[in-house]
Amino acid sequence: MESLESLFQPGQVSTRAETKVAYSRDASRIQGSCHGVVWPETVPDVVHLAQWAAETRMDLVPRGAGTGLCGGATPQNSIVIDSSRLRQIGACDIQSKLVVVDAGVPLDQLSRTLRPDGLFFPVIPGSHRSATIGGMIATNAAGLHAIRYGRMSDWVEEVVVVDGEGKVQRLSGGDRKAFAGREGITGMIIQATLRLTEVPKSRSLTLFSFAHLAEMLKQVKELKTNSALSALEYLNPHAAALVGWTAKHSVLAEYHSDEGEIRDPAEMANLWGARESLSARLTQAGFPISEDPQFPPEALEDNLDWLTVQNIPVFGHLGVGILHPRFLLEDARITELYRRVSASGGQISGEHGMGLKKRQWASEALKAEVLALKRQFDPRHIFNRGKLC
Amino acid sequence: MLIDLSENPACIECGLCREVCPVFQIQRQEEYGPRGRAMLGTAGSQTLIFYHCTLCRACRVVCPVGHDPGGEILRTGLISAGIETEANQMMIANIRQYGNPFGPLAEGELPKTLTCC
Ligand SMILES: Cc1cc2nc3c(=O)[nH]c(=O)nc-3n(C[C@H](O)[C@H](O)[C@H](O)COP(=O)(O)OP(=O)(O)OC[C@H]3O[C@@H](n4cnc5c(N)ncnc54)[C@H](O)[C@@H]3O)c2cc1C
Ligand code: SF4
Ligand code: SF4
Repeated sequence: MESLESLFQPGQVSTRAETKVAYSRDASRIQGSCHGVVWPETVPDVVHLAQWAAETRMDLVPRGAGTGLCGGATPQNSIVIDSSRLRQIGACDIQSKLVVVDAGVPLDQLSRTLRPDGLFFPVIPGSHRSATIGGMIATNAAGLHAIRYGRMSDWVEEVVVVDGEGKVQRLSGGDRKAFAGREGITGMIIQATLRLTEVPKSRSLTLFSFAHLAEMLKQVKELKTNSALSALEYLNPHAAALVGWTAKHSVLAEYHSDEGEIRDPAEMANLWGARESLSARLTQAGFPISEDPQFPPEALEDNLDWLTVQNIPVFGHLGVGILHPRFLLEDARITELYRRVSASGGQISGEHGMGLKKRQWASEALKAEVLALKRQFDPRHIFNRGKLC
Repeated sequence: MLIDLSENPACIECGLCREVCPVFQIQRQEEYGPRGRAMLGTAGSQTLIFYHCTLCRACRVVCPVGHDPGGEILRTGLISAGIETEANQMMIANIRQYGNPFGPLAEGELPKTLTCC
């Protein structure tokens, strides 16, 4: 450890007990064990750290805001590299709608900076206050507007990564498989060039509620044909009741037009605030385990029905089939959920990633992909060992 | 407004509050942010980090479950355990010895060091 401290300025490394406690887990609360934390401030800082780790065989765990929900940033006797001091936002190129940002920039900070130019970055997870661009790329985050704007990999032009041999690699969007959704196993993302889009001229919301699932899905199908639709969020009756809403199937639709019933900005902000607090409030209500399966449209009815009959609270990005069923700790029905996801041709991880939590469910194909990526980018396995699969 | 701390919902460690914390904004280290502090509190740490909180409660305003960081309570724990900052110790010693928090001052001299809790 001494040699690590000699590589950096005193305030850039900590092995204090307090630091180790605060970095011992992420928002998943999967407990790990932290050897120490490094706060790089430059690219050479990360290069030196990667070279040191390659020599000492120490595991390095990249960390953004630690809002991840599957233990991707939980250390396992590792050194955590925290991107929180990599915070520069480059000048925005308004003509080509591009911006260069450091990995540690939180999404809301980027949004505030872009606002005067009439542009925004449209991938917005519920954790947008804190979630960093690096973490969002590494998890290939989707979020509240995925139905219109897709996910991170659709918006990243280029990334700069320090790989497992300490080499600085510039990877274009075409190489996205090497970094998007790879949860830090191919190296530390340092910087990214992101595509932007124009802020819509108007926004409005409608909150629908339905007594019957079939009736709701019929309406959802129709809503999805509307080209102004920009969000389609769902809450099942059990989840609605737990957070004090009417116990029905609720759908929050956002439009980039005036056609929604709610147009007052303050009212809309309130409703979005309520939507964004769902995850935390369901944890508080005793359902801390958040899953994120993605079902194909034809499998939604059967699986939503099963979840509702089981009295499992669910919310999620219904427009793209990503659901967040919430479970008690050690709930045996999670296995049944995964079985259903596989049987329907869906994805076990729709947006949160695999991390430590879901690695036992990794397919053979994913394992082979990870092995090939490790050979290419991190042959000594220094980055986020044991994550993903 | 008096804040009722009798029912303080536990921190669920979501991390949504860290950017509003003025101390985190300077330190950029998780242990100085509201979540880190809550984790240290839960772990039973008695650490000087608890003094690094402005008691502004900005974190509570954005917290989706309304967790209160309870900085005063954490500090009370430190004081009861006799854990003080050097600045605090000096201030107390100065008050005892010289009747002011700054130390020896000549007639009309302005204090050069501001010692404060
Ligand atoms: C209340 C709440 C709501 C959420 N809503 C959504 C949502 O709507 N959509 C969604 O997709 N997710 C959501 N999430 C999950 C989480 O916020 C996202 O996964 C987010 O992208 C993580 O960003 P982060 O900066 O916190 O990354 P972290 O949690 O710090 O890390 C996540 C993963 O990325 C890796 N990583 C982080 N930074 C880097 C880097 N610079 N280089 C390489 N690897 C890195 C880590 O090793 C880890 O594997 C939510 C979480 C919470 C708590
Ligand atoms: S009350 Fe303390 S922890 Fe909360 S935001 Fe203010 S300084 Fe940070
Ligand atoms: S204090 Fe509230 S917002 Fe902050 S991490 Fe804890 S639960 Fe989340």
